[in-house]
Amino acid sequence: MATLAPLRPEAHNALRGEQKIALALLPWHRRLSLQQGLRWITNGLVAGLLLACLLLLVSRFIAFPTVLFWAIVVIAVTLLCAAGFAIYTRPTLAESARRVDALLGLRDRLGTAWEYRYDGSSLPALQRRDALEKLAAFAPVQSVSLRPGRARLLAMGLVALAFVLLLALPNPVNTAFQQQQAFQNSLSRQIAQLNHIRQLIDSQASTSQQVRDQLDKILQQAMSQLQQAKDANQAQLILAQAGQQLNQLRDPQAGVKANANANAASTLQSSSNANVKAAGKALATGDNKGLSNALQKLASQVGSMSADQRAQLAQQISQAANAASGNPQLASALQQLAKSVADGNANDIADSIKAVENASASASAEQSTTNAINQAAQALQNTANAIASSSNSGPNATANQIPNSLVPGQGRSPSNSPSSSQGDQGTGGQGDKGSRTGKSEQVFVPGQVNSGNSTITSNGDSGTVQQGTSVSYAQVLAQYMQMAHDAIDNSNIPPDLKNLISGYFDSLNRQK
Amino acid sequence: MARKNKEAQVENVEQVVAQNGSDPALATIEAGAVTPGEADIASFIDVAERLERELRSIVIGQEQVIRELLLALLAGGHVLLEGVPGLGKTLLVRTLADALSLKFARIQFTPDLMPADIVGTTMVSEQAEASAGGSRRIFTFQPGPIFANIVLADEVNRATPKTQSALLEGMQEHTVSVGDITHHLPRPFFVLATQNPLEMEGTYPLPEAQLDRFLLKILVRFPGAKDLMRIIDTTVGTQTLQASPVASGEQLLRMSETARAVPVATHVKEYAVRLLLATHPDQEDAPEQVRKYARYGASPRGLQALILTAKIRALLEGRFNVSLEDLQAVAYPALRHRIILNFDGLADGITPEDLIEAVIEETDENG
Repeated sequence: MATLAPLRPEAHNALRGEQKIALALLPWHRRLSLQQGLRWITNGLVAGLLLACLLLLVSRFIAFPTVLFWAIVVIAVTLLCAAGFAIYTRPTLAESARRVDALLGLRDRLGTAWEYRYDGSSLPALQRRDALEKLAAFAPVQSVSLRPGRARLLAMGLVALAFVLLLALPNPVNTAFQQQQAFQNSLSRQIAQLNHIRQLIDSQASTSQQVRDQLDKILQQAMSQLQQAKDANQAQLILAQAGQQLNQLRDPQAGVKANANANAASTLQSSSNANVKAAGKALATGDNKGLSNALQKLASQVGSMSADQRAQLAQQISQAANAASGNPQLASALQQLAKSVADGNANDIADSIKAVENASASASAEQSTTNAINQAAQALQNTANAIASSSNSGPNATANQIPNSLVPGQGRSPSNSPSSSQGDQGTGGQGDKGSRTGKSEQVFVPGQVNSGNSTITSNGDSGTVQQGTSVSYAQVLAQYMQMAHDAIDNSNIPPDLKNLISGYFDSLNRQK
Repeated sequence: MARKNKEAQVENVEQVVAQNGSDPALATIEAGAVTPGEADIASFIDVAERLERELRSIVIGQEQVIRELLLALLAGGHVLLEGVPGLGKTLLVRTLADALSLKFARIQFTPDLMPADIVGTTMVSEQAEASAGGSRRIFTFQPGPIFANIVLADEVNRATPKTQSALLEGMQEHTVSVGDITHHLPRPFFVLATQNPLEMEGTYPLPEAQLDRFLLKILVRFPGAKDLMRIIDTTVGTQTLQASPVASGEQLLRMSETARAVPVATHVKEYAVRLLLATHPDQEDAPEQVRKYARYGASPRGLQALILTAKIRALLEGRFNVSLEDLQAVAYPALRHRIILNFDGLADGITPEDLIEAVIEETDENG
């Protein structure tokens, strides 16, 4: 290419050309770099919000409890990447020159001037001056706008709105997942509690090994099934089944016998004879050793009594025997003791005392069994209550509420249950007369009334439904069916009536 | 890394500016004083404007043709003019010759035209002998019409290829060979050949290799109604129009040299290359239309034509650098005769202008 002679030494000219063009270009370069950076960050924000919206959308179909955390992470990461990319791809001065040419319609003046900035010959110098003159008519602040374009603003607005909506609107999947997690946590705690009770029962030497093994098996099975339970209803059903199994271990006459023991003890304690009184006290507290001592002393005392005194003593003992009619073994032993005391035969008295001691020991063992069963049943009830409480705290509380009493015959708490010293409950009811701790409860089958004196409470403690709560029909029906069948099996009602009752519940089962 | 180096250079520049301050000598430039280089440019622009104005005053309604003709003239290239008869092609060339005070020759090509009719021939002539007092016969070369500064080769496609080659040799070599003697053609030397697009029967179309020697192919279009009215006013009245001399041949040569000094940025050159490559159907960046209708694309001569004429256009537009817009404007005359259509293109009525338009539209300006 032919060139004209330079005006002055090239190095001198080149330096000045570069100076002028660089100084003129720098403000534009900074402004364009800032514009590009803001655009990248805006794009990053839009992309981040889009990805976050996608995550939130996925969480509405698949349980994703930590979705909010990851959404924020995604936004932050995309913003960082966008910022990094903006820095990495920021324009060079040459690129800025070309962009300014395109922006201002300078027709490649600046780009050419920048490329030929070192050329000191006349035409490039002239070209540089022309480019600078044209550039001087514009200002970077007015010509390079930092405001995002309308399309970009609209995109930002839309994704931001979508993000806010997805955040604000309730997520049923996550809620259900959280409820399930809470349920599982509660269940784990209750299983641990059950295990603790199981171990306590297993360590009770006063309970027979056979009973302890049976209780252990029932509780272990319940715990194992509870670990597989998916929801509160299933857990309640498992607990109800375990409760039914516990009920089958109960002696239906245990309550009657306990009452008989208590009555006999009370009668003995009202005697004027100190030894008889002591025996009555020992019988009431289950102190077999004390009972034995008291009876031995009585036997010694009888030897020095007159016939009238022996007769009087025998009468008192006989009254106690009558009071213990609910416990045939004890009543028989006391009657035997009364007769032998009346006869004054020392051998007979010794035999009778042994019989009374055996009866008392048997009663103690039965009481221990009953206590252990009650303890296990109470543990199951507590578990059921705890599960119901944790379910009730969720949005679907009404669907997860459970009946107050899982185990037929168990009240909410002993202090709130009506106590009764009545006999059998009559048709259809189980005769759980409470524990030795002094409280007894009546259990009603809905629709049936006790044949004896009955107490119907109006505070919602009757039956298996708590006032103000609702239980699923299938659950209630299953429980009542079980209760009815157990009552039928353990009572002396006629077979025809048994069939009638069974048929009634079968028809209800078919209708559900 | 390169980017950081460039940024570092800028920072250094800023430091130097801060240390050295402004140069009083540079203020001379800033005050607008004319330097020799600038004077040449100013002279270029002035002469070109006057020349264009002069031509437009004589030849009505062909502003685009005049501009493209000037581009070729100032680039030192030859032109192929294509247009129907009566559009002022001969008038234009003659006016150009008058305005530049150059020798003009017109050659009407016919089928019986011989090469010697173009380049000249050796003739026997008598030369007086001073010593012998008699004369002797010698062979002298009689130059043909090609020995002019501006040669109008009218209807060049009507002559035989042999005759065409005589002209084309001169165009390419700027010499003619007659016998064993090579004669140089005058400088400046321009050939403006014409073709009639209507009467193609019985003609000898220029082969593609020969067409490539023309810098530009200019289409002379039929003037509009307004221009036709002006033609009436200026040509059928009593006045006669004569172009005034605007510049000389030497000035023209200097202007060509000056124009070659116009700087072209790298990205502009790259764009020109992309434009050229896009005319080739085997290039992957070629537009769909080119791949479908073109047989061959433009040669590197086309690239030279693009850059040269773009430089001149930039100066005529008042700029001192070539822009992408210049390339797009000169692409049509520079490339239309270098793109060869295939049978599908000819059958579908596609023109090279259609392909050039597609090339310009689909070639990325930013690379």
